[in-house]
Amino acid sequence: MSLDYLKQAVADKDTECLIRYVRLHFGDGNETAGRKEIDKAWIEALKPLLDMPATDREFILTTLAEKDVGTLAHLYFHLHFYFVKRSGEWIHDGDL
Amino acid sequence: MMETSSQSNGDSEQLRPGLWQTVNERYPGSMITKDDLVPLARLKKPLSECRLTFVSTSGVQPKGSLPFDTVHPVGDYSFRRVPSNSIPDDLEIHQLKYPTVGAKKDLNVIFPIERLNEIADEGLLGELAPDFFSFIGYNMDAERLERTLAEDIADAVEAQASDIALLAPA
Repeated sequence: MSLDYLKQAVADKDTECLIRYVRLHFGDGNETAGRKEIDKAWIEALKPLLDMPATDREFILTTLAEKDVGTLAHLYFHLHFYFVKRSGEWIHDGDL
Repeated sequence: MMETSSQSNGDSEQLRPGLWQTVNERYPGSMITKDDLVPLARLKKPLSECRLTFVSTSGVQPKGSLPFDTVHPVGDYSFRRVPSNSIPDDLEIHQLKYPTVGAKKDLNVIFPIERLNEIADEGLLGELAPDFFSFIGYNMDAERLERTLAEDIADAVEAQASDIALLAPA
């Protein structure tokens, strides 16, 4: 999908088109695989929190308060791949 | 099954005539048409007198340089200079979209830096430009790609007075 196509989808509020693009991106062109990758990342994010470890909430809150939305969105994509990598199930042909 | 054909289609030959349709079904809106065309330049002197540079979408980069942004949903529009006298151990690959198993065993399969140095040493080529150029091929903004990345690399190639740019998609 081209950038123009995606911007038009935003203008049209075509959320199905947009989430399909995200799935294709995460699934290397396979939408079903991409859906599983999203689930995989969330599962990996959930696991380390189950034992309630101490976390750096000050860092989190400061980051959310002080960083621009573009940086935070970019971080969100980084975190997806971080947790997918951490799962040990890497479907991509290449590497980060 | 992969389609193959040796039939000519106008002035071009499409080896996989179903490919564009497949791409368009998988990534709607990704097909780009352009009305302008820059014709390929003809060599004005023998290869043995030419300076050659190499331009690659492989995501190969010097170790220690900022990794290509492989996670951004719209792509990375930066490039890296790769000194043409680098050895494979000086380099690494950052990209998600092609298999790197072979390239990690022998970088030359995707970024033939040793082979190009060999043919320059043998005299088949005049010399190599000081730098080769590398970027990643996952870029969704074709206009930005042309306006920034392609122009920046073209300027860099021209600044090093290369006679030939060998282009290799990964």
